[in-house]
Amino acid sequence: MGSRKMLDGNAAAVEGMRLARVQVVATYPITPQSPIAELLASLISEGALPGKYIRVESEHSALAAVIGAALTGARAGTATSSVGLALMHEVLGVAAGCRVPVVMPVVNRALVAPWSLWCDHQDAMAVRDSGWLQLYVQDAQEVLDLLLIAYRLAEDHRVLLPAMVCMDGFFVSHATMPVNVPEQECIEAFLPPYQLTNLRLDPADPMFINDLTPPEDFLEMRYQQVHAFSRVLAVFEEIADVFAACFGRRYETVTFYSAHETEIFLVTMGSVTGTARYVAEKFRARGQNVGVVGLRSFRPFPAREIAAGLQNACAVGILDRSVSLGGQAGPLFQEVASALTRSASRPLLVSFLAGLGGRDIRPTDLEGAFTILQQVAAGHLCVTQPVWLGLRPDAEYIRGVVNCAGDSVAG
Amino acid sequence: MKQLRLHGLGGQGVVTAAKILAHAAGLYENQYAQAMPAYGHERRGAPVYAYLILDAAPILLKSFVYEPDYVLVFDPAVIRQGVNVTAGTHSQTCFLVNCSLSQRERLLEIKAGTLYCVDATGISLRQTGRNVPNAAMLGAFAAVGTVKLEAICAAIRRNWPGEAGEQSVRAAREAYSAVQRLS
Repeated sequence: MGSRKMLDGNAAAVEGMRLARVQVVATYPITPQSPIAELLASLISEGALPGKYIRVESEHSALAAVIGAALTGARAGTATSSVGLALMHEVLGVAAGCRVPVVMPVVNRALVAPWSLWCDHQDAMAVRDSGWLQLYVQDAQEVLDLLLIAYRLAEDHRVLLPAMVCMDGFFVSHATMPVNVPEQECIEAFLPPYQLTNLRLDPADPMFINDLTPPEDFLEMRYQQVHAFSRVLAVFEEIADVFAACFGRRYETVTFYSAHETEIFLVTMGSVTGTARYVAEKFRARGQNVGVVGLRSFRPFPAREIAAGLQNACAVGILDRSVSLGGQAGPLFQEVASALTRSASRPLLVSFLAGLGGRDIRPTDLEGAFTILQQVAAGHLCVTQPVWLGLRPDAEYIRGVVNCAGDSVAG
Repeated sequence: MKQLRLHGLGGQGVVTAAKILAHAAGLYENQYAQAMPAYGHERRGAPVYAYLILDAAPILLKSFVYEPDYVLVFDPAVIRQGVNVTAGTHSQTCFLVNCSLSQRERLLEIKAGTLYCVDATGISLRQTGRNVPNAAMLGAFAAVGTVKLEAICAAIRRNWPGEAGEQSVRAAREAYSAVQRLS
């Protein structure tokens, strides 16, 4: 069933949007998302994707156009990355607060400064409280599958929230692998056409959309959004069951790759989950029991599932591919730590910061992380600060400003 | 699992070669294949890297390749530019280098597992008229590696339909027969 194609994450995203019959597209190119924008433009211009392509001058306008189109009842699409997502910032809240179920691939890349083109979760993390669902995928197959699931999830009348499907820049977006692509006929049963059920732009049925909301109502409007988030995980499970029945692949919002008695875990998101599983298998082959917690849903954060799965854990490492500057380590660390405060068990937590700005997370980096966790679990090591994997010894001295004589200006 | 690292200079088709090889293994041989390019500050003439992992089972590893079983060098000039093509290699690692007769002596600096060479540049110029050695290097890889020539030719034709593809296939076939073992 389905056909086997060699796709990278970007191409898989376009396949997902094509199969979902996106009718209106407005995108602005940005590395490493650009192939998505280019491919969508080609498909529409060739007629392979029947729809309208709106040329916009920025990501801010791209999302605004998509929201407008969605409010007329079209399934509308855009995709972005890094500072493109940052430029959409204020418009993200419009989609979320007006309950417009837009689905958007985000190719994760660092924000500025330092200026980078490469993989980092900072862009999506900077908007983690925007009211969008956030799913983080491990590879190109998951890009396609979770995009299809996201359309059905976002558009579900019990949810009606926009969704970001996040993929690692280059490590997923540009990594080619075999992907099973379902037939269009099979998609129709899984994902019917978009049905407008809420706010609408309709001359025959005019209404105010996003008018000024006084203090008497605002709190309750936000409550509605939070209430919708509280239903998402259960609806995801329902949809994942249907997806598995249609296409043979069953997804979870969080997967525990471990054995029964595992007490040492590394929590990961994105492509590094695969590398972590690879390294964990090597440890297990040596008789050392370690596990990986592969998180796919960051928003909503599956706090109960995480706490339940880690109830027998002794030492838990949390790998963040972004930093919460001025805060406690990284965003994923904060969520896991918060989830565990309500659980009876209190495993020792270690924050690992890695892979920022496109730095590759190597198997040896993760071997080091698991070894630290083993030492922490055994009581040989106490870690109170984040551990930076792969940090260079000259970290504090690189890129210093010098004068013409080559002397450091800082003295 | 077999891990490949490809070296060359920008414009020599290194990244495309990894993708075509992934197509060959993934589409025409039913292997699992994962091609990953490494993009830096892009410009013609700068060293580029591409990575490919091949396996009979799904590939979990999502990092670059650090312990290559095969190293393909599209241009020995990268060695002069300071790229360490032997990094992470082991005694079984197989090197395949694009070099002409006159460059052979330079290659003995590679204290490799097994060292093969082929004049991919010469073959490419003859068969395609262009100094882009990637199709020839892929054909040569079929002679020493784990992906068959027919799969590679099918992937080449798929990537470059028409006459361009046929020229590249001829380059691949000629290189396949021209590979020589140096050590």
